[in-house]
Amino acid sequence: MTDNPNAASVIQLGGRPPIWRNAAVLKWTVQFAVLIAVLGVFWFLIAEARTNLSAKGIPVGYDWLDDPANFQLAEGIQTVDSPERRLTMSRALWVGMVNTLRIAALGIIFATIIGVIVGISRLSKNYVARRFSSVYVETLRNIPVLVQIILWLAILGSLGKLTADTGPIPGWIIISQKGISLPRVFLADGFYQFVSLLIVLSIGIRFISRSWRRRQEREGGDQRVGLKTFGLFVVAVVVSWIANPVMGFLGPIFDAISDGWGAIPQGLMQTLLSVVAIGAAVAWIKRFLNSRRTPAGMAKLIDDDWFRMVFAGVASLIGVWVLWRGWPGLSSWMVNSGSDFWGVLGDKFGDGRGAMPFDAMRPTLSEGRFVNYGDTGLTLTVFYAALFLGLVFYTSSFIAEIVRGGILAVPAGQSEAAAALGLNRSQALRKVVLPQAFRVIMPPLGNQYLNITKNTSLGIAVGFSEIVQVGQTVYNKNSQTLAVFSIYMIFYLACSLTISLVVNSVNRRLAIVER
Amino acid sequence: MSEITAPIETRPEEPSHTAGRWIRDNLFSSVSNTIQTVVFSAIVLGLLRWILGQVFSEDADWSSVATNLRLLMSYNYPTEQFVRIWVAAAAIFLMLGLSLGAWGIDPGFSVRRSARTLISTGVFALVVRLLLPSSTPDAIAMAMIVIGVVAIVIGGVVMRAVPKSSDRRVSFTAALGVMVGLVLAVVWLVPFGSYGVAEGERYAVPGVTVASSTKVPWTIVLLLVFFAQILGRRLGVSVGSVIRRSIVAFWVIGPAFIIFLVLRDPSFDWAHVWSTDVPMAAAFALGGGALLYALGRPGRDDLARVVGALLLALALFHWVAAFFGWYPMLQKARISFLLIALAVLLVPTFAGERSARVRFAGAWVGFMVVLHWLITGINTPSTLEISAPPFLGGLVLTVGIAYYVMLVSFPLGVLLSLARTSKMPIFRVMSTTYIEVIRGVPLITVLFFFSIMLPLFLPRGMGISDLAAVFAGYTVFSAAYMAENIRGGLQSVRRGQYEAADALGLTTVQRTTLIVLPQALRVSIPNLVGQAIATFKETSLIAIVGGFDLLRIANSTIPNQPDFLGQKRPGLLFISLVYFVVAYTMSKSSQRLEARLQAGQAR
Repeated sequence: MTDNPNAASVIQLGGRPPIWRNAAVLKWTVQFAVLIAVLGVFWFLIAEARTNLSAKGIPVGYDWLDDPANFQLAEGIQTVDSPERRLTMSRALWVGMVNTLRIAALGIIFATIIGVIVGISRLSKNYVARRFSSVYVETLRNIPVLVQIILWLAILGSLGKLTADTGPIPGWIIISQKGISLPRVFLADGFYQFVSLLIVLSIGIRFISRSWRRRQEREGGDQRVGLKTFGLFVVAVVVSWIANPVMGFLGPIFDAISDGWGAIPQGLMQTLLSVVAIGAAVAWIKRFLNSRRTPAGMAKLIDDDWFRMVFAGVASLIGVWVLWRGWPGLSSWMVNSGSDFWGVLGDKFGDGRGAMPFDAMRPTLSEGRFVNYGDTGLTLTVFYAALFLGLVFYTSSFIAEIVRGGILAVPAGQSEAAAALGLNRSQALRKVVLPQAFRVIMPPLGNQYLNITKNTSLGIAVGFSEIVQVGQTVYNKNSQTLAVFSIYMIFYLACSLTISLVVNSVNRRLAIVER
Repeated sequence: MSEITAPIETRPEEPSHTAGRWIRDNLFSSVSNTIQTVVFSAIVLGLLRWILGQVFSEDADWSSVATNLRLLMSYNYPTEQFVRIWVAAAAIFLMLGLSLGAWGIDPGFSVRRSARTLISTGVFALVVRLLLPSSTPDAIAMAMIVIGVVAIVIGGVVMRAVPKSSDRRVSFTAALGVMVGLVLAVVWLVPFGSYGVAEGERYAVPGVTVASSTKVPWTIVLLLVFFAQILGRRLGVSVGSVIRRSIVAFWVIGPAFIIFLVLRDPSFDWAHVWSTDVPMAAAFALGGGALLYALGRPGRDDLARVVGALLLALALFHWVAAFFGWYPMLQKARISFLLIALAVLLVPTFAGERSARVRFAGAWVGFMVVLHWLITGINTPSTLEISAPPFLGGLVLTVGIAYYVMLVSFPLGVLLSLARTSKMPIFRVMSTTYIEVIRGVPLITVLFFFSIMLPLFLPRGMGISDLAAVFAGYTVFSAAYMAENIRGGLQSVRRGQYEAADALGLTTVQRTTLIVLPQALRVSIPNLVGQAIATFKETSLIAIVGGFDLLRIANSTIPNQPDFLGQKRPGLLFISLVYFVVAYTMSKSSQRLEARLQAGQAR
């Protein structure tokens, strides 16, 4: 640096650099410039889309959600278009979401079971088991899941014709080229009261179980706490099954909350939200300043710190502007939908609710076809089966690899120590190796669960009515593409968040407790 | 290099046992082991029988695949122009062979292991013969027996001839030669039956080999691979780094040339090219290069900044002028002006001694040449006559889309991952939001969004082809995953590296490009290969949004042909095999690469 000919531009110690050489100023200028450019591009694109849409006479918004759907859903729960429950667009989308979650949940369970079995047998001492598992994994994970799904559809299409007594148990289980039908269990009127009573009882059981556990730790020995707790829980289920009408008193309470919520004036909601926004900014700035405090007093704030604080303030002010000027409807929407939510809950507990939490039905056929609507069994169309088989086998091959990696990550000394303690191979696996392997397995496993949920969207290729397929039908009808895509995004982001929350909390529980 | 390419397999050869002892140890050592043997054997045999039943079932017409092979590979490319496809394929295979040789790829096939593989293949073929359903053609059943017996006999002879302790290896050239020979023998000798279209009529002649128009080009292409590998090995020893760099350059920009070769009609307006395009490219490349070289001399930093600012102002003025329509100018000239201004602004970062300046100016010249050539190529209309448009399709589309998506999303992913790990809060938040939102939604919604919404977002009068929209969506999607993979690498770069770079007085750009990224990318190579495999597999989703890729052809084009109504299973099984072969090869070589990288890291 000493022979730098631009020595004149070397900054004097203690002085401030000129503004065009101040790193903090430059950094923030560039950031704001890029932010504004990105926002500008978005604004331009949305403006273009709006003009293009209004040129075609398509209104922008969500008002169409209450329109009648005018199309039939191939499968799903409560798809009947009856006078008391119209099949509106929003209801159709809801059915799609339920279908997605239904196949995702079932797929997750089965893929995990198969994956764990295959993953463990890849490490088996047995040659046939080892080879079979590795061929299974290599084959299934290298063929695209969509190709597998469509191949399954083609294979299932060559099954036997549909009659009332096709399948292993005539009248109860039907398996044919049109699909699979099983007896169905569904939620009946008493379900919500049943669940709420069960929750109340479970809290009590938790206290009892904890005291048992404490006693066991005090006195030692195996007092079968887990078994006894489970027994109590079974009793609680039976009790809530019989006594669920007790909880009917919740209905009026929820109705009252709903009325109270609906009575909040818009101005109050806006003020509350603004207070939250400004409060958050103030709290952040306070915490930030606290973090800069040293024992010797306040640290000198550099330009970068000032920019951060100003940015937090500006962000909260923008939030306030949106609440009062930019989108005043947001507050009243929150008031209304909050009130609706409590109202719906109130209805679920309302008077005249029956005593049965669940009910069941057998598959029925009429005119040689499955009855799609009304009182019938749980019909899994051939599309559902194809999607399900494709997803389960594809994902199980990845889960198998994850399980194998997790087990290999447990040091060999652990299973040797288990053997030295006299545990046999399966005990060592269950009590020593797998619990430790779970720590390694859990994060990538959560990723695979997320992948299954996202891959259900491939149902569109086989015509399974999941959210993307229903959404496509909707926007083909009314051209509300932008709104439908926003619904997709919110739904899938909610799924991702839920799964990662669950996985993270499990992870925290599994984490090694350090001294 | 050579000691790294030596076998990674360090597991000692198992102590020699008799076959009976091996069976007892591995299959029936305990009760649970015996149960496993029985259960899994039953599953394996049942599955194999079921799969064979699907493949050779009575209603599966495999001539639907044989007749449509060309459709599956390259869709509707005009027959009389097909030589261009062969030239392109020859170029790719030539470079493949050169690459294999130049990097000294040698998986190290042990002779004894290969013989053992041969024997188990033979046993497998015989088992398959036993499980074949009755509807199988006799020729295939016979072939299974022949393959099984020949493989077992050869494997057994080799096993006897080579002593147990021997670690003799088959050289890769010989292995490649055997593979090429086998494929050639199959192409020339096996009577597949000939299928094709002549004067609009589909014809089928059973019991003859592939048509000469196919087997002669295949012979040339395969021999090219073989000899290019030998040549590459020689060159890799004598001029290693030069040849390896040229090959990398080919793999980055070569496919663009190949697309040009395949899509563009050679009889376009050469006059315009020579009078305008070439001089302009030369002016920008050479003039810009000279300017960069001159300004890069040490001590000219401030001059470079002033010149850069002036050029930037000039370039922006051209765009303003274009907006108001003051004077005409070719768009690529405007783009080039903007780029040279940005390059001049970067000069102080890369300035230094002569070699550094030469490199920077050279990079500019190369970049300009490729850019101008690409723009010229895009602006030159294709005059190929297509009988049924879209004519890009089949395996070519699948591989092409996957390749370009990876290529384009790579720089995007690097930028996003740098932004996500940067200390600048707005960049970090923006990049994190982008990555998490894209990773949270399924690919198919992104593809739908782009193919439906992109035309709506564009100003009126501007259009975009379906395939381009889908490509854009796929790139946007892939960039988010790429960013996460590279972020993993960035986080593995230790703090000391940053501090050392700072202590050397490097600027942020220099620190990132010269110190941090090379280390981070090296670490993330295995993940990137994994993503490449995933990208390749997921191109099958293009079938849903309207592209004629492998899946679409097998699932809807072929079953709709009058000769093969409803024939889905053979096509789908065939493309499953194609996907499997490509993806499996990639994943195997990535495992090998990973092992090599780890060996390189070990001290």
